[in-house]
Amino acid sequence: MKKKSWYLSRREVLRGGGMSLALPLLNGMSWGREAAANSAPKRLVVTYIGYGVYDPGRKNDGVHPHSWYPRHDSGALTFNKASKAFESLKGSVTYLRGLDHAGGYGLGGHSSGDVFATGADMSGSEKTNNVSVDQMAAKTNGQHTRYDSLVMGTEGGTGSYGMAKTLSHRGPGQPVPAMHRPQEIFNRLFRPYAGQSVNDVRAELKREASVLDLMMDNYKSLHGKLGAEDRQKMNEYLDSVRALEKRVERTSQWTHEELPKIDTKGLNLEASYQDPTEYLRCMYDLLYLALQTDSTRFASFMTESEHSTGNPVGNFANQIFGYTGATHDIAHKRPEEASLKWERWRAEQHAYFLKRLRDSKEGESNMLDNTVVVWGSAHPHGSHSTKNYPVQVAGGNGLGFKHGHLHNFEGSRKRPLSNLFVSMLNAVDVPVEKFADSTGELTEIRS
Amino acid sequence: MTGMKMRRHEKRVIGICLLAFLWCAPGVFADEIPQGEAGYAAKVKPFLETYCISCHGPDKSKGGITLHTLDGAFELEQDLERWEDILEVLRYKEMPPEDEKQPSGEDREAIKNWVDLGLREYVRKAREVAPVPMARRLTNFEYQNTMRDLLGLELDFTKNLPEDPKKPYYFNNTAEFMLLGPEQIDRYLENARRAMASVIVDPGEPKVFRKSQKWDVTQKGKGGAEIPVYQGPGVGRKTVSLNGWPATGEYRIRIKAAGRFPEGVDEVPLRLVMGSDLRHDSGTGQYEPVGTVHLRNRPDDLQEFELRGRIENHPIQVGKITKKGQAPPSMIITAQNLFDNGELNDHRKSAFDSSWSQSAPRVVLASLEFEAPVTDVWPPAHHTRILFESPLRQSDRKAYVREVLERFMTRAFRRTVSDSEVDRFARLYELLEPGFGSLEATMRETLSMVLIAPQFLYHTVAGEGLTSPQFELASRLSYFLWGSLPDGQLLNAAFKGQLDDPKVLEVHVRRLLKDERSNDFVDNFTTQWMSLEKMKAININQNLFPRFLYYVHVGERRGQEILFRPTIRDYMHQETVGFIAELIRRNASVSNIIDSDFAYLNEPLADHYGVEGVQGLKMRAVPIKPEHRIGGLPTQGSILIGNGTGSAPHPIYRAVWLREAILGDEVKPPPAEVPALADSAGDSADQALTIKDLLAKHRDVESCNDCHVRLDPWGIPFERYSAIGKYQPRVPKEGSRIRGFNLKEDKDMQGYQAYLDKVYTNGVDAKSRVPHGPEVDGMQELKKYLLKARLDDVAENVVRRLLTYSIGRALTYRDRFAVEELVKEAKKTDYAMGDIIVSICLSDTFRKTPTHPEKK
Repeated sequence: MKKKSWYLSRREVLRGGGMSLALPLLNGMSWGREAAANSAPKRLVVTYIGYGVYDPGRKNDGVHPHSWYPRHDSGALTFNKASKAFESLKGSVTYLRGLDHAGGYGLGGHSSGDVFATGADMSGSEKTNNVSVDQMAAKTNGQHTRYDSLVMGTEGGTGSYGMAKTLSHRGPGQPVPAMHRPQEIFNRLFRPYAGQSVNDVRAELKREASVLDLMMDNYKSLHGKLGAEDRQKMNEYLDSVRALEKRVERTSQWTHEELPKIDTKGLNLEASYQDPTEYLRCMYDLLYLALQTDSTRFASFMTESEHSTGNPVGNFANQIFGYTGATHDIAHKRPEEASLKWERWRAEQHAYFLKRLRDSKEGESNMLDNTVVVWGSAHPHGSHSTKNYPVQVAGGNGLGFKHGHLHNFEGSRKRPLSNLFVSMLNAVDVPVEKFADSTGELTEIRS
Repeated sequence: MTGMKMRRHEKRVIGICLLAFLWCAPGVFADEIPQGEAGYAAKVKPFLETYCISCHGPDKSKGGITLHTLDGAFELEQDLERWEDILEVLRYKEMPPEDEKQPSGEDREAIKNWVDLGLREYVRKAREVAPVPMARRLTNFEYQNTMRDLLGLELDFTKNLPEDPKKPYYFNNTAEFMLLGPEQIDRYLENARRAMASVIVDPGEPKVFRKSQKWDVTQKGKGGAEIPVYQGPGVGRKTVSLNGWPATGEYRIRIKAAGRFPEGVDEVPLRLVMGSDLRHDSGTGQYEPVGTVHLRNRPDDLQEFELRGRIENHPIQVGKITKKGQAPPSMIITAQNLFDNGELNDHRKSAFDSSWSQSAPRVVLASLEFEAPVTDVWPPAHHTRILFESPLRQSDRKAYVREVLERFMTRAFRRTVSDSEVDRFARLYELLEPGFGSLEATMRETLSMVLIAPQFLYHTVAGEGLTSPQFELASRLSYFLWGSLPDGQLLNAAFKGQLDDPKVLEVHVRRLLKDERSNDFVDNFTTQWMSLEKMKAININQNLFPRFLYYVHVGERRGQEILFRPTIRDYMHQETVGFIAELIRRNASVSNIIDSDFAYLNEPLADHYGVEGVQGLKMRAVPIKPEHRIGGLPTQGSILIGNGTGSAPHPIYRAVWLREAILGDEVKPPPAEVPALADSAGDSADQALTIKDLLAKHRDVESCNDCHVRLDPWGIPFERYSAIGKYQPRVPKEGSRIRGFNLKEDKDMQGYQAYLDKVYTNGVDAKSRVPHGPEVDGMQELKKYLLKARLDDVAENVVRRLLTYSIGRALTYRDRFAVEELVKEAKKTDYAMGDIIVSICLSDTFRKTPTHPEKK
């Protein structure tokens, strides 16, 4: 496939309209408009686990049975005890070793998670974070669904500098708050009118559009009186109000589409931190439903943050298998047995999600084939190093991804992790040649 | 940049004295080297070539710095910054390195003067231009205070806003950090609507909601009125459940309660929280404290207590959505007994069964009565402040609306507003009226829109057509010293043009500093300056420090202990902030930051540090003696914990803190290719027993040594202070492992202490040679050295921090001479903190920043 050869710089994208809005303020939009089209939706999901993974090196010349990595070196995948949950997904997963974001080096131990999905040079020239891969996709192709993206986390909100609770950023200084309450996510996705009639919603939107017009007038009158520097700086306000206008417009259009029918069987919206497994499943279920109903095609989910000691989900080791310390301790102390339980549990949760996608037919294939899913952490083997991220890529076989191997990029084969993002974006029809510090595509898994 | 910046402020004693001298007689050496290109070619270039270019030139660029491209023109921005770096390293004789060929004293002086004059001349000429963007949106901290003061009620306005970026030791109130996106405007609007729903009430008397409950005081145990010590969700509490309360308004809770005390205890804290049921114990269920009452009376002497708050601040428990629709929301008031003498940490179990909790005090709650809204004055003041009584209200609705808008907008925009601005929002009102109907409802929505206008959300420098520099100055002043909008007095002074008069300005500065709102400034400033939030992110090793934090029940949210009870860490935050506030209040010298004869403590903190005779929870200034070893900032728990590992001290973090926060150096993080400390010296850093050796090994690696040789010596003297900020002069023998507290083996804390005393046998090595300074052994000697040799640098740092924070932008080489003047001025009063703040506010940099840039 020949790609367009225009270079899309991230900054231009930010300037040039099409601002994405992950979550409509009050109202939802339409549905399945795209279902009429022939091609299956192309989706992109990024998920995150905290504190790195267990990766103690070889044992008896093979991979350690408790290692997060199913095998140690490059080659066709075989699965160990810890990664067994992915065995039946062999043809749909790839493991990557040796990739990372140079922009995260300077952030230190528990902060590099901030840039996992962005690759921004946050501690260097950029100073703040920058657009994330899911939001980049949403900006270009988010208009086909009711919501351009879904941003979830287990702790909610944005977190702060170096302590992100979200993977998604619309651009510099624009983190997208992650949602973490199952009931709230459900309502936002599937009950967007909050009991109002569609006509009332439309009337309200119309009024809102006129109000925003006046707000824009007000801004313009101020704009002319500002100094040149301030004027430039305050374009961010202008852009924001424009984005709101666009959203109002879009929301009204989508009121003409019906809301999806949801099969809520087995969905436990009451799930709480008290049972991390139940809670995570529920969150994964919601993510699945959002994709399955084609409510959105781009999503991020921070299943653990780098500062989740205050959160039982991040501290699941304690609740799930009674580890007496904080889950974070496992990363440092590397106890063999606890590490196995640790990795096995995390693998099971994520595999559950992938399997749901795989088991859902879509056209001739299944949803997983049309969804590329990243799962990884911004640390290597439980230390505070900010290099060599453990990364698993799954799905997207129908989007050109080739799976079934571990690729080791350590040493002379070193490549920026952003190359993977470039491949992913192109796979979902967002033609880019560059993302953050990328140097090309990751041809090993998609050419 | 890296290398040179790092060394920039490793100064010698001569620093400021020399500077003062230069200031008086800038021309003395000027004859020696002609300014500009001529001088550069004749003297400066040869100097650089002899001493610098071999490391910082076309072949090598140590620290990423090259100097061979400089010239004598002083024009390019990056050159000017580079010249400032050169000036600094020459000033403190950091370069060339000690083991390289050195220039003569005269040459060094001559070059330095040439650079200084060049820069000075540039800055003099450039002062009029060089505008920087000032448009920064309110920080969340400023937004909260502004909304509070503008609307006259205290709600949590920032809960749903994205958190502001934070960077250790940086201030975030700059244009660079204070960005805005659509998500944020959304949330501002959400907030504004929520606030307006509370501020403007509907006409007519409200329906008052009441609920009360009683418990049987005569019955003991679970069924009666007794509340045992809180040990986690679901255990030891009484609840009152509300259904159908009003959505907004002030509430009042009256309780009748007492304590039942075992021998030796005479006070028990009773706390009320309101929100979701605690039993949910999840991030999906939330609650907020109502307040805490310290009970000292007995059950035969029940007493009544009253607590008030705003309903809106308490999260409701959302009703479930089922096939039949959504269930009504509910709210639960929970009463907890928060007694804790530390023993809760000792892994004791059930609240009702164990002998321990039987012997702990009980709360006796006889009754609880909830009422809302409280209608002492109706409509409330925050309502009539906006929708004031006026005959116009009936006779001329249009004129009334305009007047309401003008009054509100003037306060919200912090300046007089133009007719056209009022026009626009009056049109908005008309547009909204048909949909909203009543004056109240329409005004709520209209004013919500005022609250997302850029004139409200941003600090700007608007042109003369809109506002005057006086109003901008008034805002700058109030956001500096209050983190909030100017009050009426200040706005009036601006309106009358009186702030040009330094005397008037000074009166206002001192008035603002005296106002209790200045506590917000000190807290915000100090927290960022000292990077105090790091402390909360440290996991304290509860095996090693069993009684330090409160008890964490299995399944409770560790780290959010504030929700349950204040811990010593919260007091430590107050200690540091209160200490700085006290220095400003007393107009005391900056030297107190290094060492002081008082500390800011309450009883738990005083116990922690071993200071006798402090009673109660109230924080206050307490005189201390040298043997307490806790004067100044470097030995405060907040600093020592935040710059430790939770198990052990960490000399590098502490060294970085000292240099960044106190001496004002910029310490870059280690470069990516450098291995972590543990990896380069074996994997034993966790034990931290031989940290000094570890560091020595780390320095053996050349790439590490370049930086660490300037870093480590500053951290070693901290080594006698433990990871929880206690003086701890002994450590276990190298290689031995320490076990944690064990209830079975140790019985109690004395038992554990006896064990520790047995194991902690070796003295701590805290000796190091300070770069360019003497050898010091431990903190006391380091403090002495800092006071003697580095006080001017500390003062300059304080001036720079305050100035940066006050004008909301980073300082550049353009500001160096202004800083110089301020420091010189401050030295006259022995660096009195209060006076420093006053002179900053009176300085040109603050008052005239920036001059209106010409429009392009």
